[in-house]
Amino acid sequence: MDNIKRKEMKWIYEDIVGKIPPFSLLSYQYSILLQLFFLLVLGLTLGFIFDLKIMSLLYGSLGIMVAVMWSMLILQLGPTLRQFRAPLSKYENELLEKYKEILFHKNHYEALPGLVIFILFMPYIFYYNPGLLDYWIGKTHNPVLLVFMSLLIWDICYRMGLGIWTSVLALWRSINLGKIAKNRIELEHTPYTELRALRKLDINNVFFGLISLLLIPILQIDRVLVSVIFVFVFFITFTSIISAHLISKVPWLPPDIYNLVKESSFAYIGTSNHGMPHITPVVYVFDGQNIFFNTSKEAKKLKIMRENNKIAFLIDKRDMSNIYENKAVLFTGKVQVFGLLDIPLRFIQMLRARKLFQEKYPEYTQKYSTSKSELPKAWQLTPIIARILIQVKPYKIIYWRGAKQITVPV
Amino acid sequence: MRIPDEMLNILYGNYFGYVCTSDRFEQPHLTPVFFIYEEDSQKIFFITNDRSQKVRNITENPNVSITVDIRDTINPFNNEGVMAQGTAEIKENEPIYFLSEDTLELYMEIYTEFKSKYRAVIGNKPLGDNDVIVQINIQKMVYWKGPHFKSAKISEEGTVIKVT
Repeated sequence: MDNIKRKEMKWIYEDIVGKIPPFSLLSYQYSILLQLFFLLVLGLTLGFIFDLKIMSLLYGSLGIMVAVMWSMLILQLGPTLRQFRAPLSKYENELLEKYKEILFHKNHYEALPGLVIFILFMPYIFYYNPGLLDYWIGKTHNPVLLVFMSLLIWDICYRMGLGIWTSVLALWRSINLGKIAKNRIELEHTPYTELRALRKLDINNVFFGLISLLLIPILQIDRVLVSVIFVFVFFITFTSIISAHLISKVPWLPPDIYNLVKESSFAYIGTSNHGMPHITPVVYVFDGQNIFFNTSKEAKKLKIMRENNKIAFLIDKRDMSNIYENKAVLFTGKVQVFGLLDIPLRFIQMLRARKLFQEKYPEYTQKYSTSKSELPKAWQLTPIIARILIQVKPYKIIYWRGAKQITVPV
Repeated sequence: MRIPDEMLNILYGNYFGYVCTSDRFEQPHLTPVFFIYEEDSQKIFFITNDRSQKVRNITENPNVSITVDIRDTINPFNNEGVMAQGTAEIKENEPIYFLSEDTLELYMEIYTEFKSKYRAVIGNKPLGDNDVIVQINIQKMVYWKGPHFKSAKISEEGTVIKVT
């Protein structure tokens, strides 16, 4: 049952492309390039047969290019969502299943917005502003050319509709996921990789919106259509940016671990080089999404991490009176060491991390700055980056509660 | 030569330590453990499950390190701790007679305490089944308090050869 459902997660277009031999043999990027090439050759051939102007050929090619770029972005949805691991929360799972079901509905509702655009657009260019038609293909309207042009228009309208369809649904999904995530309990969550994948799809949609600006030269003589494109660009980019933003606010750690990380004061980091493990206690901060710790420039662990950036990062809560309340979380993964070169690009993030340190360890920060002269050289602050900032990038999480060990997907 | 008193105080005064192992790809792994330190032989012991990641890592790479520390949330100058580095040996569950009587007694004491606390979770089984004792032969120890450090080197025979 599940398998059948999964296979059906395709759109008309994806479905058709996947079945025609030359395309079915290729990966989808190549099959799109091949389609571009076919359409382009067909268009150019028709152009020469009917003796069209160079500008007409350029407009046609631009239209094809836009359609192809849109396809490349939008066709990533299917494969990404097909690989999607189920969230470890019943309600989040239900939401995402519903999202996928509507997105790839078996009645192919995704074609509706495109159909509406097409139905409105065709009479418009044939009856209301036939000047546009002349502008594109000249005064003589050969039926073969008109058919090819309509095909191209359908291709573009269908994808515009898909853009609307996917971005509206994405926004709906992000808003609801954010709401549901607030009521998580214990270990419920949607893994980090999955959240990142959703966010990437939203960012794809931002580009989808921007690409439509390329249609403006084709429509430039019609002010109404140009403003429609602007509205379209604004609508798609705006909804997608909001959706991506909402997704990036959804915690990727389940509440039990989130709270442990948020509330603990200290962590231990394990590093290793030349086969010799090394442990140091560190202070760290957590902004809800990223974990940062810092170290002095002279510290041994920094030298080790520059050679081998693999790390084990452990936070634990000891409760000797009630051992069942003992909790620990181990992140294994890599670290990113922030250097001077990161300042221009990640300045805000670095400032924010620094501010979090000041809030979480006010006494520490004070001690570091007031007793500067007594400090050994290794502990003295460097300007701008007070101590070296390091970010933990986990790819595996293990959580202990009492004696129970649970692996939490990232 | 003896190791500095500060180190002894930490190693005898605490139950909990953090053991770091790393696999053949140098991926570190870190877990809290109950441990016992024995000054005469300069060894540290802890109990773990033979299917744990630590044991798998130790068979791939016997180098381990263990940190025991006391932390102060207000003043970083009061943070103190010991990190011991050395090689680990996995002692099968049957012979624990290699331990001196005192250590064995201490060991069983802590073990019993540990087991009694976890009884509801792991059942009341005696030492055995999947448990193994891991012995760390300490080669080097570092002590810190705030920004100040002390270190000790230990020979293969378990004697302190250098304190700085």
